[in-house]
Amino acid sequence: MLNPVLWIHGEALGPTNPGLVAYPGAPAVFVFDRQLIAQAGLSLKRLGFIYECLLELPVTLRHGDVAEEVLAFARRHRADGVATTFAVDPRFAGLHQRIAAQLPVQLLEPEPFVELPEPVDLRRFSRYWRRAEPVLWGRRAGAGAPPAPVRRWDR
Amino acid sequence: MQSADSLPPGDLPCRFASRAELEATLRQLFPEAPGGLSPIQGGHRAAETALAAVDPLAYGRSRNHLDGAVTHLSPYIRHGVLSLAEVREAVFTWLERSGEPAQAAAKLLNELGWRDYWQRLWRQLGDGIWHDREPLKTGHLSASYAAELPADLLEASTGLACIDGFTAELHTSGWLHNHARMWLASYVVHWRRVRWQAGARWFLQHLLDGDPASNNLSWQWVASSFSSKPYLFNRANLERFSGGRYCRSCAAATDGTCPFEASYEQLQAALFGEVGPC
Repeated sequence: MLNPVLWIHGEALGPTNPGLVAYPGAPAVFVFDRQLIAQAGLSLKRLGFIYECLLELPVTLRHGDVAEEVLAFARRHRADGVATTFAVDPRFAGLHQRIAAQLPVQLLEPEPFVELPEPVDLRRFSRYWRRAEPVLWGRRAGAGAPPAPVRRWDR
Repeated sequence: MQSADSLPPGDLPCRFASRAELEATLRQLFPEAPGGLSPIQGGHRAAETALAAVDPLAYGRSRNHLDGAVTHLSPYIRHGVLSLAEVREAVFTWLERSGEPAQAAAKLLNELGWRDYWQRLWRQLGDGIWHDREPLKTGHLSASYAAELPADLLEASTGLACIDGFTAELHTSGWLHNHARMWLASYVVHWRRVRWQAGARWFLQHLLDGDPASNNLSWQWVASSFSSKPYLFNRANLERFSGGRYCRSCAAATDGTCPFEASYEQLQAALFGEVGPC
């Protein structure tokens, strides 16, 4: 992708967003999802918080249908593709699919909190944490011994 | 504010003289969205300020208390203003600088792990996070829970100072201490017998850190569709971790009508009957 636009979404509103890092200076867009806002009944507090995050980023703000707006933004900038950060929300997958039907989409993965080989047993937090905690402490530069495991979950 | 006609058609303004101006613009743009701005400010600068103030040791010691040294990072993490990896590194840097043993930061890292865990589960479950993960352990059928939140709860007029205080804080600031979330969720599901999904949707409307996975699966944890037993609290527990701030001014605390003034055994019997878990 030589001339992409960046699609910034609500799970990647920081300056270390992998898209902003990979393509500094590329035109970037965020779209307030009118359908989601209405369906979820989101309060102005939430929209205001997101808006304030966006005000610190080099990004064009739009509202409406997200896929349509991203594609229109790409056309406006004669882009040959769209780069964005992977988002876990299943809604993202649907939007991604609609955009990818018309333009190549590059999905960038944010740095993981902890890298664990699949499959990870997620039936209870304690099972996940037994695997994750030693790996996490192993990442620490000059790591000493990891702390004794926390045995009692208070939630 | 950048005048709308200097922007390409349909682009939203990105310069404001004040938060009041931003709020007025948002009201025009999103008339369907209730309320006003939160006192909690968005943005990376605010996130960095909050991150610099984090004290993992104090957090670990006091996090369950409403006035404990909690981080207030959740809205920024939820929206990727800060990544979990950045916070992890900040915690490691704090350990280097403070000279504290690793144990001092274990609880904070554990809580960051919860966020990672919920996200991993969301990847696996997708929209399944809106459905019971397991049968309820309350002895009540899912169908016996009300579909809607009661009006007195939403109007913060239950007469219970704690519950009404939590609702007011949720509606005005969009942030609640984790313990307050658990108490409020437990009250909604177990005392008012409302489906956890109604409460989860309510929280997502208001919480600045409203993340469907963390939120819904935590509601399920309280409800007992994602835990081995329902989460209950009593007055002694609430009074201890709130420093008594609500009970002091609550009529129900002195007139004998506090629904939380009981032992856990009494509450389980009253709320779940004989078939309830022990």
